[in-house]
Amino acid sequence: MREKTLKLIITFHTTAAAMAMEKICALRGLPGRLGPVPRSVTSDCGIAWWADPEERFLFETGEDFPEFEGIYEVLSYNS
Amino acid sequence: MKRFMSQNGIILLTGVVIGIAALTLTFLGNPANMGFCIACFLRDISGALKLHSTATVQYFRPEIVGIIAGAAVTAFAAKEFKGKGGSSPVVRFILGAFVMIGALMFLGCPLRMVIRIGGGDFNAILGLIGFVAGILEGIIFLKKGFTLNRAYRQSKGEALGLPAVFVILFVFTLVFPAAFQVSAEGPGSMHPLWIVSLVAGLVVGGLCQRSRMCMVGGIRNSVMFKDFSLIMGFAAIIVTVVIGNLILGSFHPGFAGQPVAHSDGLWNFLGMALVGWMSILLGGCPLRQLILAGEGNTDSAVTVIGMIAGAAFCHNFGLASSADGPTFNGKVAVILGFAVAAAVSAAFTWRKEK
Repeated sequence: MREKTLKLIITFHTTAAAMAMEKICALRGLPGRLGPVPRSVTSDCGIAWWADPEERFLFETGEDFPEFEGIYEVLSYNS
Repeated sequence: MKRFMSQNGIILLTGVVIGIAALTLTFLGNPANMGFCIACFLRDISGALKLHSTATVQYFRPEIVGIIAGAAVTAFAAKEFKGKGGSSPVVRFILGAFVMIGALMFLGCPLRMVIRIGGGDFNAILGLIGFVAGILEGIIFLKKGFTLNRAYRQSKGEALGLPAVFVILFVFTLVFPAAFQVSAEGPGSMHPLWIVSLVAGLVVGGLCQRSRMCMVGGIRNSVMFKDFSLIMGFAAIIVTVVIGNLILGSFHPGFAGQPVAHSDGLWNFLGMALVGWMSILLGGCPLRQLILAGEGNTDSAVTVIGMIAGAAFCHNFGLASSADGPTFNGKVAVILGFAVAAAVSAAFTWRKEK
């Protein structure tokens, strides 16, 4: 049976910033995908960037990303 | 199964509770297929406050007060009550007004749309197709970078403004009932005892706040991310209402003669398409706007006020449909609404960066 795994969730102030994140990551070949903000992170029903926690440094040290609202690590069934 | 319930349990529970609450409220007095309708209820509140003078739709609906207050209580309990706002409030007010114009063309918000489907009203299926079409239109702009700009932290006082006003006005309607309009006949006159409506609203508001229930978000997440958890709530409401109506003998499939509805398919489609598009731009359906307003989101509070003003416009300028069908003025207003949706979508997608 599939178990919950730890995911890195990056949230933004606007959906446009999340879309910009997708473009930047695609251009730079960075890992991750867009997905809904998990219920446990915020009550907003916004859009977040989903990646693996071991890739956190790529996003914390990278430049010219859209402004992050927050970076979280949550257990999720979603891959 | 464990995984499914862990992901979807709260949203399924919310959908089932909304369905049962809608059936109960209708059984105890609300108009048929209108156990819950955010658009209709805000329209009734607009009438109660004398913002319009259509005598049949005036009543300060306690369900709305309950939804906002219920969301506020659970948000406080979960430490999620946060003052937040400043994201293009004037535009949100205008979009909120046009959400109401679209909803009153169809005669219901997205929540009533699914409740109508659950009652066998096939006109609402055309509304649903329009709603999805409007959402898809909005998603095109979302993907191209549409944003109403970011929100900023607001004080608790600012955040509590709208919930407090609703609660205080509601208390006034109980203490000084003569100061407010109340329908003697028509949909506005049909309601259960106020405490029943209030409790139903509180429960639904609290659950929606915890589950993040959103009609628009469910379809958006399904289309954009193949994430179907929010849309499960949608499905749960329909299934619950169908089963309930079958048990109560109030499932009447068909197009003609449906309660508080008309059978003009094109305008049912277009009305809900406008609601879908505007709601994507606003970031949530009318129900979600109430919940976010209860959580302290002042942008949603402005949207709710816009919807109340829009309802007044609808009835003062003859824009709202009736069982006889849409009006000419209503059709013009919906077309104008599409022009506004297109203009706002374009202006906030291809904006010049400072």
